[in-house]
Amino acid sequence: MSLNKNKICIYFSLFFSLIAFAQEVETDSTETKQLDEVIVTATRTVRQLSSLPLPAQLVSKKEIKSVNSLRLSDILNEQTGLITVPDFGGGEGIQLQGLDSQYTLVLIDGVPLIGRSAGTLDISRITVGNIKQIEIVKGASSSLYGSEALGGVINIITENPKYGFNGELNSRVGSFNTLDNSFNLGYRKEKFSVSAFVNSFSSDGYDLNANDALNTVEPFKNHTFNTKLTYNFNENTSLFLSGRYYTQNQDYVASEDLKGESDINEWNAHAKLSHTYNEKWSSYFEFYATRYMADEYLNNTDNSRFSESDFNQLLLRPEIRASYKASEKSDFIGGIGWNHETLKRTDFSTNPEFNSPYAYLQYDTNPTEKLNVILGARFDNHSEYKSQFSPKAALRYKLSNKIAVKGSVGYGFKAPDFRQLYFDFTNSSVGYTVLGYNAVTTAIPQMEANGELANIVVPISEFENELNPENSIGINVGADYRLSNTVKVDLNVFRNNIEDLIDTRVIANKTNGQNVFSYYNVHKVFTQGLEFNVNWKPSNNLKLMGGYQLLFAKDKAAVDAFENGEVYARLTPSSPSFQLKKEDYFGLYNRSRHMANFKIFYTFERWKLDANLRGTYRSKYGLYDTNGNTYLDKYDEFVDGYSTWDIAFNKTLYKNYTLGFGIDNVFGFTDTQNISNISGRIIYGKLNIQI
Amino acid sequence: MKTLKFLALAIVLIGFSSCSSDDDNGGQQLLDVEAETVSNLYAPQTGGQGSGEDISGEFTKFSFSLGTTTTSETEWDIAFRGTSIILNGGSSMGTIDEPARSGEAAGYIIEGTFNDIASVNTELLTQDSEEGYVLSDWYSYDPVNHVINPTAGRVLVIKTHDGKYAKVEILSYYKDAPDSPSMESEYRYYTFNYVYQPNEGEITF
Repeated sequence: MSLNKNKICIYFSLFFSLIAFAQEVETDSTETKQLDEVIVTATRTVRQLSSLPLPAQLVSKKEIKSVNSLRLSDILNEQTGLITVPDFGGGEGIQLQGLDSQYTLVLIDGVPLIGRSAGTLDISRITVGNIKQIEIVKGASSSLYGSEALGGVINIITENPKYGFNGELNSRVGSFNTLDNSFNLGYRKEKFSVSAFVNSFSSDGYDLNANDALNTVEPFKNHTFNTKLTYNFNENTSLFLSGRYYTQNQDYVASEDLKGESDINEWNAHAKLSHTYNEKWSSYFEFYATRYMADEYLNNTDNSRFSESDFNQLLLRPEIRASYKASEKSDFIGGIGWNHETLKRTDFSTNPEFNSPYAYLQYDTNPTEKLNVILGARFDNHSEYKSQFSPKAALRYKLSNKIAVKGSVGYGFKAPDFRQLYFDFTNSSVGYTVLGYNAVTTAIPQMEANGELANIVVPISEFENELNPENSIGINVGADYRLSNTVKVDLNVFRNNIEDLIDTRVIANKTNGQNVFSYYNVHKVFTQGLEFNVNWKPSNNLKLMGGYQLLFAKDKAAVDAFENGEVYARLTPSSPSFQLKKEDYFGLYNRSRHMANFKIFYTFERWKLDANLRGTYRSKYGLYDTNGNTYLDKYDEFVDGYSTWDIAFNKTLYKNYTLGFGIDNVFGFTDTQNISNISGRIIYGKLNIQI
Repeated sequence: MKTLKFLALAIVLIGFSSCSSDDDNGGQQLLDVEAETVSNLYAPQTGGQGSGEDISGEFTKFSFSLGTTTTSETEWDIAFRGTSIILNGGSSMGTIDEPARSGEAAGYIIEGTFNDIASVNTELLTQDSEEGYVLSDWYSYDPVNHVINPTAGRVLVIKTHDGKYAKVEILSYYKDAPDSPSMESEYRYYTFNYVYQPNEGEITF
């Protein structure tokens, strides 16, 4: 814990005095009802969040604005059960229900973001400046979305312009010379709307460890451009067009003598034509294309090139989707589509190409007023790995007006990525080699012919079958409880059984004493736990939210090894070893058993001032095995649990102007050894102008 | 206090009585099993570790019957150089300065706590060969702190050059066996526990 007892006392007294204060205010406020929010991600249809049989969360534009977030990573970190985990490549991926970033699909307006060069999708890439709502659906969702939707789906819904001509300017300046400017212009009349958004974000970065030539985060600058257009030809036919471009330039420093730059360029083009045929039938034709390019180089001190690498991925996806309203109570939606993906990358054996046609169908029905059932399935054919059939079933039963129970079971998968299939990389200084699964059958005989191999450990014949996608069965069971008009509680218990996780192993020994590694399906892991959210809105002015996640994430082989008494440890590196017990196994790396958040939002109407205090807590976790038994056990060194606290104030002036001020990470918590994505205290000021 | 004293007394008495019953067993007088700790056995090497030079330097030889290091060419059981441990039995891997093996030493590494390994499984005994050293997989390298730690739960079971048995648990590779060795710690200093069974043909410890 980074907070001492005194500070906690201050918090509690502050907290309770605020509650007391709030209750006084409550007497003269009218009773408030919480608005029913809608979500599109869970079913690909517009659904009321409150009636959904799946665990889902919404983050509204109002919340994003009141906490003055800049990037998607900032705001997701404050949501229950979500945490951003820094990648060694510098990006930040999201961990959801204890699953790594590679198992959560991230969408913008319903279409996926690409560019996972090492599996992680860096969500700090995404500005929140033009977001209307963030939708988070937990649990395996491959029945609608296919690959990557193994742990869940995060969908970013961008803002649509209001009627007439409107614009918004946002500017935030803060610590580390961080500057964020965005400008949004929109126009809408009956048939037509158009909007344009520009964001520029730059920072000097920060350095948590002054002992080396490297900064923890090197200086960078990036820009996001987004334009959207909608046109309603008539009541039944409409067109949506969206284009987005993101570009980032960052210093790239490997050592005192090796310096360069890294560039990211990404574009997305999305077109959708919707047509309603009659009361029962409607359809969409959708086309999506996106390219992600990451290039980096390092130069020696004499400006000669030391190394360069590039990554260039393209995804094309046409899709047709139809929905059929069978009755007042039942809807069908179905779609067919085709994913075409290519990648050019340094250190690849070929320029691979993926082709994957798919089809899905979902049936959403309310057989009685109290019962909602969703059944769905999707089939993904694939040119490079085994075809996948992903079913899902969910139901929700309303026990009374106050309480409803829900449950869902679904299959999720993540296709092996290009790297796991086609990598052909030899480390030039150390000399080891990493081969993609599909590269083995050609690369190994070649290495053998060149006399590079001393010994083959795994015969090539083992690589003749296709590599299996990593797959999971996710179960979620929960309840929504509306204690009163002002208090909402929800609970969700989850379990994800993941199989065929892909890992590396030594497949051959080289004559230079190093090894050849390749990928294979091996691990079975599970994550299970529960999530609990409380939402209390005692008055129009005050809102309190709290969330908690309990998590157990374990490798099944490790559980067995502990049970069989095959694991040993020492108290110090030089004390006698002893046998570990079953309960000494902590679980997977980088997973905290407890995560919690607390938020309080208050509006001082007299001063037109919004204020909020938010805290997040994460209990201890292990980053790697420190006592040499290859498992994370309770005698390992852990990263201490910590909490960070943010405050923000926004005051509205002359109706159209808002001045903001805030401190993120008020107590300046850092862990220079272990946590690279917490920079320390950030003080900022913000200006918002509505036109 | 009184209870403690009584307990200590009781333990001593039980210890004595069990010893005497051991002595009575079998009629033949057996030598006591020797449980000892060796500290800071220095095992230098030159070259290797990315220096570009081949590893060389004399091995530090150890004899269980003496309980100390030895310079004898023949009367040694195991020998240390850097992280390498060799047996006085079998054949050389051919590295520079490797001593000639004249004895019948053999060994294996087994998982368990030091106390749990109560007897020798003679079927597992293997000698050094061109393929490699038998007692090589005793440590783990911590890539973050760049230190060598003896892997927990690994016990070295050894047949000595003259056919007796010993078991060894390596505790540290650093001088004075620090609790948290670092890159700066002086290395190649072995600390280990061993139990030596001096009686011919006895395979229990």
